[in-house]
Amino acid sequence: MNDMSQQTQLFTTKLGITYAEFFDGIRPAIQRVSVTVEGSGPDAVLELKQADTDETLRWHAVDLRLVPDQARDDDFIFANGDDNPARLIIRDYDALKEIFTAIPHVRAVRGHSSFPRLMAMMGGAMIAFAAILFGLIPFMADRGAEMIPPTAEAQMGASVFEQIYPAMGAYECTDPAGQAALDRMEARLTRDLDLPYPITARVVTEPSINATALPGGHVTFHLGLIEVAESPEEVAAVFAHEIGHVAHPDGTRAVLRSMGSFGVIGLVYGDFLGASAMAAVSQQLLNSSYSRAAEERADAYAQDLLVASGISPAALTVFFERLQNSGDVAELGIFQHFSTHPELADRIAASAAAVGPAVAGPPILTAEEWAALQNICQENATPTASTQPGFTPSAAPSKG
Amino acid sequence: MSVLNTEFEGSRGDLFQLAMKTGFLTVLTLGFYRFWQTTRFRRWYWSSVRPGGTPFEYTGTGQEKFIGFLAAVILLALFLAFFNAAVMFVAIRSSDGSLDVLSSGVALTPIALVPILFAARYRARRYILARTRWRGIRFGMSSGAWGYAWRACLWTALGFLSLGLLWPIRTFRLEKYLTDHTWFGDARFTQFGRAGQLYGPFLPFLVTLWGSIAMMIYGVAYGDFQQVGTSATGAPMYQPTGVTWPFLAIYPATLFLFLFGVYYRVASFRVMAAMKILGDGVEFDIHPRTRTLVWINILGSILTFIATGVVAGIVIGVALGLAGLLDVFGSDAALAPANIGVGIALFGFAAITVYVFHHVFRQIFITFPMVRHVVSTLEVHEPSLLANVRQRDRDGMNDAGGFAEALGAGAAF
Repeated sequence: MNDMSQQTQLFTTKLGITYAEFFDGIRPAIQRVSVTVEGSGPDAVLELKQADTDETLRWHAVDLRLVPDQARDDDFIFANGDDNPARLIIRDYDALKEIFTAIPHVRAVRGHSSFPRLMAMMGGAMIAFAAILFGLIPFMADRGAEMIPPTAEAQMGASVFEQIYPAMGAYECTDPAGQAALDRMEARLTRDLDLPYPITARVVTEPSINATALPGGHVTFHLGLIEVAESPEEVAAVFAHEIGHVAHPDGTRAVLRSMGSFGVIGLVYGDFLGASAMAAVSQQLLNSSYSRAAEERADAYAQDLLVASGISPAALTVFFERLQNSGDVAELGIFQHFSTHPELADRIAASAAAVGPAVAGPPILTAEEWAALQNICQENATPTASTQPGFTPSAAPSKG
Repeated sequence: MSVLNTEFEGSRGDLFQLAMKTGFLTVLTLGFYRFWQTTRFRRWYWSSVRPGGTPFEYTGTGQEKFIGFLAAVILLALFLAFFNAAVMFVAIRSSDGSLDVLSSGVALTPIALVPILFAARYRARRYILARTRWRGIRFGMSSGAWGYAWRACLWTALGFLSLGLLWPIRTFRLEKYLTDHTWFGDARFTQFGRAGQLYGPFLPFLVTLWGSIAMMIYGVAYGDFQQVGTSATGAPMYQPTGVTWPFLAIYPATLFLFLFGVYYRVASFRVMAAMKILGDGVEFDIHPRTRTLVWINILGSILTFIATGVVAGIVIGVALGLAGLLDVFGSDAALAPANIGVGIALFGFAAITVYVFHHVFRQIFITFPMVRHVVSTLEVHEPSLLANVRQRDRDGMNDAGGFAEALGAGAAF
């Protein structure tokens, strides 16, 4: 900076005047203006005098705005109100000091923002999104479940079975006596039922305590559940619950719902088609929230079915309490619902007590049949070369 | 002939502060602040870019961006729900209901989203330009998102089907469509030139691609495959003998494909920028170097990886420490629902924190140096011809880029 401009600057500062770049918001031309501050506080006025035309603009302190988040902190960009595109760029330190001494609080430019409106939009969007997830998609899946022909449902169940169990390393148990016992249990429970398709009951070599009702009447018990049960009535209680899913058809609905909600959750995370872990976790939560109502329905169904079949529904409660006390994790749908609704066990116990011994028909399985069911997977036990040379764990499961 | 050179005035330290501050707010609000964060990043970057010493200004707001996103999520969720249901019903009607048919039906969903994705990117670009000003004058784009979407689908398909032969035509046509719809005030940009000019920069990529394909065909045709066993699922496994070099040469070929691909992107950008004219004859020149950009990416990725690793270590340590303090993994009531809840909350919070820091480091080590390099090579020729330009009206653009955001196609900032 040479002496001349230093002198000029000194001179202008003393008078409270500086030259600045001005853009009128109409043309992209740089206009030179001289800036004077008049007064101070809220009544202060910035006077912009155009060098070429001698025209004067007056910007009032109340309308004065600063453009925020600037990359440089040695020049400031001022605006006149939130909507006016005109801009004033001041780079001179002393002039800035002058302005900020006279007008200490200059607000940042901001758009038309309103917190209540934001909250209202957010609430509205959440309601709409929930309506789509929990209203529209289940509704359409239910219509789909009604339309789908029973044979197609059975076919779908078979292909889901072959997709999930071999992937878990679990295979169908094929002991004929055990299967016969399971079929007998099925016959007793479904005696008076009018299901759209026959139940296909199977046990698989999976150690977890669980059972599933896949589409089309494919009821599958995990071996862990058969082994941990202490009486055939306990298995029958779970069976009745799964038949409840079949009657409704919850399996088909679940498959169609997860297809119907494909990609929807991912939108919230802004992740293309929900490939992220967050979206996957949320999808899981969504699926379980879909199933909660189904579990409640299946429990009510099981209770009635057990009573109708001459089995005390108390078996359900007994089984649940024993698993809970032993510390086994109850991942079973039926018990998930139990653990969140402890009063349910009391209700079932109460209804069992009320019906009393009147329900008790003949035992559901004989001792021999029960033993056979518990050993249904013995042929699938870890093979040794001498007993089962031809056993191949990778063979596709087939109907035994 | 007068020229306006472009300065990039932002400093990395300031950006780091801004990124950390907005990053923490994003964590604390479980991600909701990200719309305001993006807006503040844009304001900062725009203000650092100064052709002829005058900064750009970004005038978008976080609130409009958030509301636009909410609206886009609802509309897209409705579209997906109805599309999935339609596919489901058709699959049920026309098949035996086997799962394979149903799942391949659902696989149509991503394909159905492709045109929407292109349209969303057009609208996101239109929104950004509508909120960009230079010398007080607004940029803008005229409507044409669906016109862009079908052209992009058509040319992308042709580009793939021709094994890349038509790709430069795709690049040129789409860039011309975008440029010819872009305005500064009441002055329109025009893309001149021909697609043929892009074949030069594309040649290295095309030759490498076709060479690799021919090499693989030769390898498969003349190789001698011998079965060396079966995999766990029972499928036979083969080992090539005889002609094996194509299967080794494919590794360096892939690296060259990547490098030549980047070169093409940078070079085609350079060529097309030099053939754009604004209004009465304002011309541009921009000459980023492929080598510099590749180095920024390699070095930046390494630095981001290291920095994120350090932060992840600290965050996971803190989370585990807190879990220990709160006795989440307590011996007896090991998996009580309350403890599971606390555990999930801690894990989720740790994951979001690491994600946000990753984002911050990418800004600092990759996005910032890339933007700085590219924009500081921008020259505006004959700026005096801007004198006739006049302001344009404000463009509402209420979706505010929300569709691109919901589809995960948002930009780095």
